[in-house]
Amino acid sequence: MVGRRAGIGLTTVASVGVTWWLLTSVTGIVGSARFPSPAEFGVSLNQILTRGYAGAGLAQHAVHSLKLVVMGFAVAVVTGIPLGLWMGWDRRVEACVNPIFLVIRPIPPLAWIPLAILWLGLGDAAKIMVIWFAAFVPSVINAFAGVRNIDRPVIEAARMLGTPRWRMVREIIAPAAAPMIFTGLRLSLQASWTTLVAAELVGALVGLGFILNMAQQDIYPGMILVGMVAVGILGWATTWLLGQAERRALAWNVAARD
Amino acid sequence: MGSIRFQGVNKVFGPASSGVKVLDDINLDIAEREFVAIVGPSGCGKTTCLRMVAGFEAPTSGIVSVSGRTVTEPGPDRAVVFQQFALFPWKTVRANIDLGLRNKNLPKDQRDDLIANALKLMNLESHAEAFPHQLSGGMQQRVAIARAYVLDPEVLLMDEPFGALDAQTRVVMQEELVRLARVNPRTVLFITHAVEEAVYLADRVAIMTRRPGRIKEILDVRTVRQSENWDRFNKIEDVMDLESFVHLRTHIWRSLREEKGAQGV
Repeated sequence: MVGRRAGIGLTTVASVGVTWWLLTSVTGIVGSARFPSPAEFGVSLNQILTRGYAGAGLAQHAVHSLKLVVMGFAVAVVTGIPLGLWMGWDRRVEACVNPIFLVIRPIPPLAWIPLAILWLGLGDAAKIMVIWFAAFVPSVINAFAGVRNIDRPVIEAARMLGTPRWRMVREIIAPAAAPMIFTGLRLSLQASWTTLVAAELVGALVGLGFILNMAQQDIYPGMILVGMVAVGILGWATTWLLGQAERRALAWNVAARD
Repeated sequence: MGSIRFQGVNKVFGPASSGVKVLDDINLDIAEREFVAIVGPSGCGKTTCLRMVAGFEAPTSGIVSVSGRTVTEPGPDRAVVFQQFALFPWKTVRANIDLGLRNKNLPKDQRDDLIANALKLMNLESHAEAFPHQLSGGMQQRVAIARAYVLDPEVLLMDEPFGALDAQTRVVMQEELVRLARVNPRTVLFITHAVEEAVYLADRVAIMTRRPGRIKEILDVRTVRQSENWDRFNKIEDVMDLESFVHLRTHIWRSLREEKGAQGV
């Protein structure tokens, strides 16, 4: 089954590549001022790998962006999951926090960028803060929903067995909510990448978003595509890693669903 | 081993003045090592009775006590077996049974001995390291029973424990429970809507009215079982053929049917 799925996926990617090549290089329907051809993409990629672009090599840009995403995501997860679990467990906490959430949630994370730059300048701290804000919400909401959706008898069974408070959180509440928590983590990770690129577009001196910004000013479609593809690949790789962690942590659940 | 006492217990869901009254003046004494089954039409509040002994619900008025102590919260002295098993799917069978023992802060070697005994008692030895989803419903309920038994509770509370099982599995579990109850009698409060099950398992059967539930009648099954020597049979169908069994069953059926009639069903 997996082999067949992978085959279909590869075929799709290959056809998109061929279509791209046909449209730009062979027929010229799409001019190179609008979208780069595979050859132009190759030239841009070669340039950034060998001589660098926007002040640094591709690896340096990518590592910097990755670092910010991981830090913002980590801060969001470490703060968001406990808050979500707590809100799910104690209705009073939910009653306190929810009104604030209702007002803050509709504000797009990107709207925090001006304030973040005002507070923390154009450096990394402002970007980490914005990523944190963006990634925080899905982590909280899903951890909260995860606790609320636990079957009542499971909680009652643990109480009947005399489970003390801290063990209850660690061995019952957290694992029972884990499938939802991981859904939240995936959304948080996605939000982290989206927000990072946007934050780097606005003000940065290094990073994948900065490549995009510079390449736009240089009217350099080939390099724009390099930046986009790099974001795509890193986003996919981090999501894949998260998926692996989920498979390991939720082995019991994956098997239970099959 | 403990006793259970309901003294003038009323239960109203919602506000005391405008809520739904589910239990009306329940008085019931369950002696040490006695097996009492409560039967009644659905929604009559029989499960609420059990949940109050477990400490999941508080009576609106009246007192529920176990061995003379008023129940205030859940605890391992009152082990519950739930209809939907309520196992922890992320824990192995062994870890499910172990949790209550760990909560009692027992040393590891003692826990291992107790778990080994419980696994043997419920014929689960070869499944100790399995996860619940790898087991059939009947096996999962064995785990839940083992998890309750291993605590050596004052009382055992069983809330329609075989209601989610298929007919053949249910019969096997009923026969095993009788075997357990005869070897090592415990104080059991057993909730069911299956009349045969109640007569087969219990020392006494309490029949409840429709909502608001009252105890309408309490039947002494043990006297009949002993005088007619039901225990000479191992199989439930042999007992169910006995005239004395049929007589009790029919009596309960009539009594319950009156309740359904009163409900207009």
